[in-house]
Amino acid sequence: MNMKELFPAKQVWGFVFSLILTFVAILVYFFNMSKATGMTIFILTAFIQAAVQLVVFMHARETDDSKSIFMTLYCAIFLALITVFGTILCMIWGWSY
Amino acid sequence: MEIDHSQPLEYSTEQNRLNILGFWIFLGAEIMLFATLFASYFTLVDRTGNGPAGAELFEITPVLAETFLLLTSSFVIGLGIHAMRIGNKKAMLTFFVITLLLGLGFIGFEITEFITYYREGATLQTSAFTSILFTTLGTHGAHVTLGLFWGLFIILQVKKRGLTPETANKSFIFSLYWHFLDIVWIFIFTFIYMKGMT
Repeated sequence: MNMKELFPAKQVWGFVFSLILTFVAILVYFFNMSKATGMTIFILTAFIQAAVQLVVFMHARETDDSKSIFMTLYCAIFLALITVFGTILCMIWGWSY
Repeated sequence: MEIDHSQPLEYSTEQNRLNILGFWIFLGAEIMLFATLFASYFTLVDRTGNGPAGAELFEITPVLAETFLLLTSSFVIGLGIHAMRIGNKKAMLTFFVITLLLGLGFIGFEITEFITYYREGATLQTSAFTSILFTTLGTHGAHVTLGLFWGLFIILQVKKRGLTPETANKSFIFSLYWHFLDIVWIFIFTFIYMKGMT
């Protein structure tokens, strides 16, 4: 059995890349940086890593149903962001006028 | 049943294609479930009352172990699906077994973590913060636990019936579920643990 055949380069690199992204997020813990910088790194690493999972491991772009999959995802992510930020706006940040 | 051989086995029939799209729509609903939990978490994170805050409670080592276990399991089940697509049933089942063992390791760490929290005086009733923390982590952990049983049954069925359009379809859908749990964990790791510790 050819071992190389069982470890496709795309997936191996996807895994390496997610480890790097996790490592970058951990750096925020070990180095002192401003809250805004830390948060920016967190948002970037989390969302890029989610995208890697979707495209590399979940094969979301490879088949004919790709368009439907992404419409479902965009709709769900849109609703999720509205829910999360809407809640934070109401309950934490507030609105002064 | 019409089998389209130009497609991977799990996509080879109309029913299979619909099952996969249906599962993606289910994952859309799951995204919303976790969004409501995260919304509540961000609202309640500072309401610690007399209980501990996240910074006092969280420890980096078990969190990193959990993250590494789940990330690796997500990679390994991806290899399992690849092996399935090239028709290597033995390699596929091996990868699926490794995936579940890594998942079991994750659950082990999480249970130990919960026991530690309990010993440190953080229970579901301690404060609004600990309530939403346990609810969010617990919902994810319950999903992983369900996944362990689901995956076990998938392995048994593939072993018994071999790789057919049906079993390949079920295995692929299970892999989507497992990857999705890893994505949720990435957000828990980042916005609950890392944010809480920095």
